[in-house]
Formats: sequence, structure tokens, C-alpha cells
Amino acid sequence: MAWQVINREIAAAPADGKPLLTEEVKAKIARFFPKYETRRAVLIPALHVVQETFGNVSYQAMKEIGEFLAVPPSEVLDTMSFYSHFWTGDRGRKVIVVCRSLSCQVMGHEALLEALRRHLAISEHETTPDGQWSLMTEECLGACEHGPCMLINERLHAKVRPDDVARILADPNCDKE
Amino acid sequence: MAMIIINGRAVECAEGTPVLKVAVDAGFDVPFYCFHPGLKIVASCRLCLMEMRSKDPKTGEMVWSPRLIPSCQTPARDGMEVRFDSPNVRQNQRAVMEDYLLNHPLDCPVCDQAGECWLQDYSMKYGNALSRMTEPKTVNPKKSVGSKTLLYQDRCVLCSRCVRFCREVAGTNELCVIRRSSYAEIDAFPGIPLENKLQGNVVDICPVGALLDKDFLYKQRVWYLKTSKSICPNCSTGCTICIDHNNGRVWRLRPRTNRKVNTWWICDEGRFGWKYVHSNQRLLAPMLKGARVTWDAALAAAQQLLAPAGKAQQGKGVAVVLSPMMACEEAWLLAKVVRAAAPQATLVTGFVPKASADELFPVGLTDQAKAKFIIRAEKCPNRCGVEAVCKALGGPQATFADFLAKAKQGTFALAWIVGGYSQEWVTRDCSDALSKVSQLIVQDIFPSSLSARADLALPSCAWVEREGTFVNHAGIAQPFDRALPPPVGCQQDSQYLYRLAGMEGLYRAEKVREQMLDKVAELRDLWTPPAEARGMH
Repeated sequence: MAWQVINREIAAAPADGKPLLTEEVKAKIARFFPKYETRRAVLIPALHVVQETFGNVSYQAMKEIGEFLAVPPSEVLDTMSFYSHFWTGDRGRKVIVVCRSLSCQVMGHEALLEALRRHLAISEHETTPDGQWSLMTEECLGACEHGPCMLINERLHAKVRPDDVARILADPNCDKE
Repeated sequence: MAMIIINGRAVECAEGTPVLKVAVDAGFDVPFYCFHPGLKIVASCRLCLMEMRSKDPKTGEMVWSPRLIPSCQTPARDGMEVRFDSPNVRQNQRAVMEDYLLNHPLDCPVCDQAGECWLQDYSMKYGNALSRMTEPKTVNPKKSVGSKTLLYQDRCVLCSRCVRFCREVAGTNELCVIRRSSYAEIDAFPGIPLENKLQGNVVDICPVGALLDKDFLYKQRVWYLKTSKSICPNCSTGCTICIDHNNGRVWRLRPRTNRKVNTWWICDEGRFGWKYVHSNQRLLAPMLKGARVTWDAALAAAQQLLAPAGKAQQGKGVAVVLSPMMACEEAWLLAKVVRAAAPQATLVTGFVPKASADELFPVGLTDQAKAKFIIRAEKCPNRCGVEAVCKALGGPQATFADFLAKAKQGTFALAWIVGGYSQEWVTRDCSDALSKVSQLIVQDIFPSSLSARADLALPSCAWVEREGTFVNHAGIAQPFDRALPPPVGCQQDSQYLYRLAGMEGLYRAEKVREQMLDKVAELRDLWTPPAEARGMH
């Protein structure tokens, strides 16, 4: 077939046999059990615990979470991928989130995003090879009066013009309040 | 019962039935994607929205509610009044269709679903000819979600029928919806592909061309296909199916809704189990002692073989093995033919192929009553029917094991053996035992060691080339039609048996069935499932 076909019949990353979720991580997840009626309901807290521990939720981790909570892996993927907060691949040390909502769009979010793409040489939801930066967009950062705006980890940068990108990213403290 | 008013017309229905189902069953044309009578209701496609009359909280008057309500999720209550023909409802249908078509590729000319696609139909009826979209369309890569199924995400309307099918019916949970909103896609977890034994059904229930059957991909345009109603011969469940054929070939099998037997589904064993029909290994001409002969010569030879064997001891040395792959009518005709020559001939119910156990779905279930689908361990369609025919005719009877044991002792001088299985069935034991039978007439689809040493070998037809009745494991008798003519050189089994039985003209299953009615109680109530409204199948 001439078209590009993603093959789901083979695993994304073959397991090396070692479990990813250590007893310690499992114990952290198990702490949520008494708070919910079912194990299944602990899925979101479990995803948080895993991302906090490993920086992302890999396919291997999803499988193991599924086993631990008796949820099929496809449902773990279903739930996890619903939230852009969770990362499957490598997440950079600094995550840049550009707002793509209406007011930022009107004020030129596309130009800003393009400047970031060019500066970092990655596209949306990707990470630079040195593991320093990740780029993504979100629906609204709640700072509509400051559009276009972007978030670097916990710090909001308002009214960012494409020309500002190089200066902001050069600042080592750009992600700190 | 409840009486509800749809578009000003009173319709009677069972209380609590989804209004959408009531409307479609009553013949109203309501578009929908996500609703399927065999799956949970999610009300996600928003196409079936309706207006409903309800009480105004201020004045207490009955007024049309300002908000549109999903009809699939609203149970019918007595006295309810709804409408699908108001400007509001029409406007919603147009808007939703426009949304579905935003990113949909214009590739109907190369799409397998074209011609039976709900998106095509609805966009003709409820959509716009022109798209207002000026931005480039999203183009997703295709996914191979399993060895038999391909997902063409561009065409998907995210009705989630396939996902719900894997969760609720198959119980194997392979498919899921990843991401959300305009980024949402159907997907399988990498390394855990769609490999359950009911997976072909997701292609059937996909209302658009997103899920495609690799086996049928680019084989035929659906409007060239002719459809015959048949019964699946692969296990004793006896699922009702449609055989889609063209130019003398089967192209695919589809389930035919039958709430008593298979509901809306069939298994992949049945769906893809027809390939042997077009094998080039089949027996295609009658063979007398290894030499090809004409049908007239073959039938004369059959009578010549039967007559002397039948005269000795009233034919006690004659046995006829009626295969459970035969239809009731064929078993009846053959038994009659043999008994006419040898009144004391032994009737044997033939070899019953068996798997280790019934397979219940959703997977992991053990309670048959709760199962949504069962693949039976008994891999033949008509053991019950053949047994009923033998019982009705009375006289000497034997099971297949008994028959082999007796044959080993040299009890039989002549045996007429019917095969008709899709796979090699003659075991070592079987051929050893039958080596003690001096004369053999073998009627089979494929050549075997038996047909090679038979005095007379008659070609048998596959079930798609025959017509008759199968009685399933629960005693439900279901007639099936012929889809294809027999291969060149062959005759329908029932046709030559008909001639041997001394009857003239063309074989019709109904005519033989009429003769059998007094004797075989099982055939008195034939079950043909009622046709269902579009989309309710």
C-alpha cells in the first residue's frame, strides 16, 4: 500500500523485562485506594504519580499501571491521552505552553508559535534532542488580556512578540517566578 | 405499551424503548451514527436530536422545549410528543453534517464503503453540496489496527461503536479513543492489536469507511454485489448471514440480524471460513473406480451398486453415513434412496468435528445465559437436523463411532459415506475401519483416501451452492438459499439425490420439506428472522 500506515500490531517499545513501577511507586499509588470506591478510579492519581516519578508516562508504564489497577492498557491510553498534561515521550526540563485560544489567536499566537518552532527547531508536542525544551499549545491559559501569552513551566510570559523569543529563552531563569 | 406522537402521527411502542428506535422502526427517516441496538447508548453523534413537548414550569402549559434532545437517550413514555421535522431539528442536522464533513476527504471513488456509507447518504439528504471550509483538511496516517482490519482515520466520525463493541461484546478492549476534540482518534494500544475472534464485526458496524476489512479491501464495489440469505455452516450456533457474491464468486459474508440466534454478530471463523469454496482442489466430476464418468453413468452405477447389496438380508449389510454438514432435505433424500433399495440399511449420523470447548463472549464469561455471543465447539451446522431425520425414519441406527466399530468387524458390505467438510476429516482409524467395507460410495467436496478407493465418488457442493434447512444446537430450524450455481461439471447434491429418489424436475427445498413435515417435527416451525429497519441491524 502506497500510503503511510502506522502498525499497531507491534509494541511501541519492546519491554526489557524489568518492571518500571517499583514497589515504592506502587505503594504511592496504593495510598489512593481507600479514597475511591474502585481501583479503576485511582487511574488519574496513578498517572500523576508516574509522571512525577519518571517525567513521563511511557507505554510500558501504562501497561504496568493497567495491570496494577486491573484496567485494560487501551483504557489507560484512552484516559491518559485525553489530558495534554501527561507526556508519553520525553519531556524537556522546560515546557513552553503557547495559548491557542481566541484572544491570543487574534493577537498573533501563530506567529509566536512559528518563531518558537524555528528557534528550537522542533514542532508542537516535541522535545529538543538535548532534553532542554518541550513545546506545546493549550486551549486557554486564563490570561486573555495579555495575548499572545505563553507559559514556561510555572511562569507566564505576557504579550510576547516573535522578536522577544530569543531574549526570553536565553534567560536561564525564564521558568522561575 | 405506550403511545407516543412522532411528527404528529401516533405510534405504539413498548414503554422505555429509545425514541430513536421507535421512530426508525415506524419508518421515520432519522439520521444517526452512534446508536446501535446491541451497544450501550452514548448519545455522542448529535444527529438524532429532536424536539419534545414538555410542561412550561411557569405557566404549566405544554410547549415545545427550546433545547434539542437526543432521541436515542430518551426512553419512550406514554403520551409523549416529539418531532423530527421542525426547522430547528433540520438546522441541527445540517450543522452536524457540516462538522462531520469538515475534514472528511473527498475519496468516495476509492473508498470501499462507498455505496453503503451512512456519511454519503446523510450528506446527500441532510448536508450541503458545498463546503465552506477554506483551511487545509487534517490528514491522518492510516493504521493497521489488527491483522484483518485497517483504520482510515480521516473518514472516522468518532461514533465509538467499534470501541464499545470491543469493550461490551468481545470483552477484549483493544480499541480506544485517544486524545480529544478535533485531535481525537480511534487507536489500539501499540503491541495489543485488534485480534479477537469477533473483530470483523467492527467493520460491519462502522457507519462510514473508517474501518476496513483487509480481506475485502479493493475487491468489489458494493453495488455490484448480489446478496443471498444463508446460514453459517461453521458451528452449531447457525448464525444467519448474507452471502455477498458477484461473477460466480463469494466476496464476503456479513451477519444478518437474528435476535433468536446470533443477534447482530458473527465470528471471524465463519466470516472468513468460505475460502475453501473456491479451492481448485475440489472434486468436480463423478468418478467410477477412479475414472471420470458422466452423471447418467454415475447415477446408474449407484443404483447398480445398491440393488444387489440391498437384496441380501434385506440390506442389513448396507450403511449410509449422513454428514452433519448436509441439509435436512438432503439427508432425507439420501436416506430414502438407500432405504428404498435396502430397507434394513443402517442410518448413521456422520463425523461431528469438535473443538475443545464453546467460546463465550465477552471473553472470560462462563455463564452461557449471560453470553452475548457463543462460538460453539461443535463445528458443523446440522447434527440436530440429521439426527432428527434418522429418528423420523426409524429402523437400524448407529452413531459414527458405533458404525466404525461395526465396520471394523466386517458387518457392512456397502457403505454410502457423505463428507462435505471444509478440512481433511478422514482419520487413520476411519480409513482402517472402512477398509473392511468391500464397496464404498463416497460423496464429498474434496478428494481423500476414501474417495480414492471408492467404487463411486460423487462430488458434493459447498453450502453456498445448495439450499435446504439447518437445525441448530437449540433445535431452531432455519432455511438457507443458494447463492452460487455449482461449479462446472457438478450438480447440487440434492439435485442428483432427487433424481435417484425417482423424482422429476428441479429440486426445490420447499417441495422436499413438505414431504418431511409429518415425520420431522423440527421442520414444522421454520425460523426466518424478520427484516429490521435500516440501522437497527
